[in-house]
Amino acid sequence: MLGKLMKYEFRATGQTMLPLLLFLLVSAVGVNLSARIVDHSDSNAAQFVAGILMFLFVMAILVLSVMSIFLMAQRFYKNFLTDEGYLMFTLPVSVHGLLWSKIFVSAIWFVAVGLADVLAAFIATFKVSAVVNIAGNIKDMFSYITTEYALNGAAFVAEGIIIVFLACAGMCLLFYAAMAVGFSFPRHKWLLSVVFFFVFQLVLQIFGLGGMFTWVQSVGPASTASVFAQVHTSMLVVIAAEAAFCAIFYVITALMLKKKLNLE
Amino acid sequence: MPIFECRNLTKNYGGVQALSNVNLTVESGRIVGLLGPNGSGKTTMIKLANGLLTPTSGQVLIDGIAPGIETKKLVSYLPERTYIPLWMDLGQLLDFFADFYGDFRRDAAMEMISHLGIDMKQKVKEMSKGTREKVQLIMVMSRAARLYMLDEPIGGVDPATRDYIIGTIIGNYDPQAAVIISTHLIADVENVLDDVIFINKGEIVLQSSVDDIRQKYGKSVDALFREEFRCWEN
Repeated sequence: MLGKLMKYEFRATGQTMLPLLLFLLVSAVGVNLSARIVDHSDSNAAQFVAGILMFLFVMAILVLSVMSIFLMAQRFYKNFLTDEGYLMFTLPVSVHGLLWSKIFVSAIWFVAVGLADVLAAFIATFKVSAVVNIAGNIKDMFSYITTEYALNGAAFVAEGIIIVFLACAGMCLLFYAAMAVGFSFPRHKWLLSVVFFFVFQLVLQIFGLGGMFTWVQSVGPASTASVFAQVHTSMLVVIAAEAAFCAIFYVITALMLKKKLNLE
Repeated sequence: MPIFECRNLTKNYGGVQALSNVNLTVESGRIVGLLGPNGSGKTTMIKLANGLLTPTSGQVLIDGIAPGIETKKLVSYLPERTYIPLWMDLGQLLDFFADFYGDFRRDAAMEMISHLGIDMKQKVKEMSKGTREKVQLIMVMSRAARLYMLDEPIGGVDPATRDYIIGTIIGNYDPQAAVIISTHLIADVENVLDDVIFINKGEIVLQSSVDDIRQKYGKSVDALFREEFRCWEN
């Protein structure tokens, strides 16, 4: 059932996200072409058009980022906490399935937006050789890490991906937990959601900073060779910490939806 | 085994008691009117049966089991709100119900929709309020469910739409299934009911067959309801 829930979640969000992603890529092509024209022309009109296209490109990046976060919160609210909740919570699926479908789809959109931003930047880049150089440098860096410090570059990347996914899931769950708690009250639901969002975030920062400080104290100074090993271990610690926070917010959200659902 | 049962069911909202020690059973094959004034506890009982609320104490059972994934496969529920997603078109809505409910009869739904003359590509948000209500009723009645729970299906609609809704319910439910219709508009549904449950201030006041009421009191359910609830208000 998770696959079916995700299918409809993608349909609902794709109506907004796909046109925006397409607009970003088209505007990147526009920036690239206009840069080529301006490079061979002193025309004020060409420079004006290039400026407009660059403005649209930057706006597309900003709007896409904001929209992915807005949609993540809006879909949870609309689908679970308004009249649509009568449909979703009477489907023969578990609360966990409902919640995971939202988390996965939102996290996938966040990653898609990040990748689209990188792709758009590559497209917009005037010189293709610069892109090739950057890609080459990244490859060299991983080869260097692997050969010089005996670290598995692939594991390094995998850990990075997990950190990114957990960070995305954690951000979703922070919003979800705050709304699930706020909307369980009979009145002032939005106000209480905002209050709980800041309370949760404050707790997160206190524990996050405290944990980071303790970790840095415990590892002490390191040689150059062991710096990468420490980075590697630190990434595992970050994964564990992110997973713990995700689990706490997940439990809060699931419990509130199961026991304290308060549809009007 | 009754298809729907409440055992000492109590639900409190904070300090307010919405249902108080309710005991009742509904058997398969019956059309039951859950009748009571606004705020009497009808919607709370239906929400509890659908797992949208959890009881303060007591039990609510569907075919002998507490509300959960398995009971949601048996119950076709029409809330008093318009709950179908506005972003979907009619075709997507049919896909949605077919994907999640194994008992969804797509052909029956398509036939009822064709009578309404709605384009399959029309989005729900482009439909009038009345059309949305008809569409969601069609979705609910197109399931071959064991229990239909319809919360105020004829509230707030014009008389012609009321006739359409009642006709759709009677024309499409499985005779082996039970139908619970919650309403305070008794005259409109009285003729299709087998049994009635009177509920007031969270307590069951009366559970009887319509025939018994007519025999025992010599009056219609609507007349009895008006008389009884007038007494309670005084």
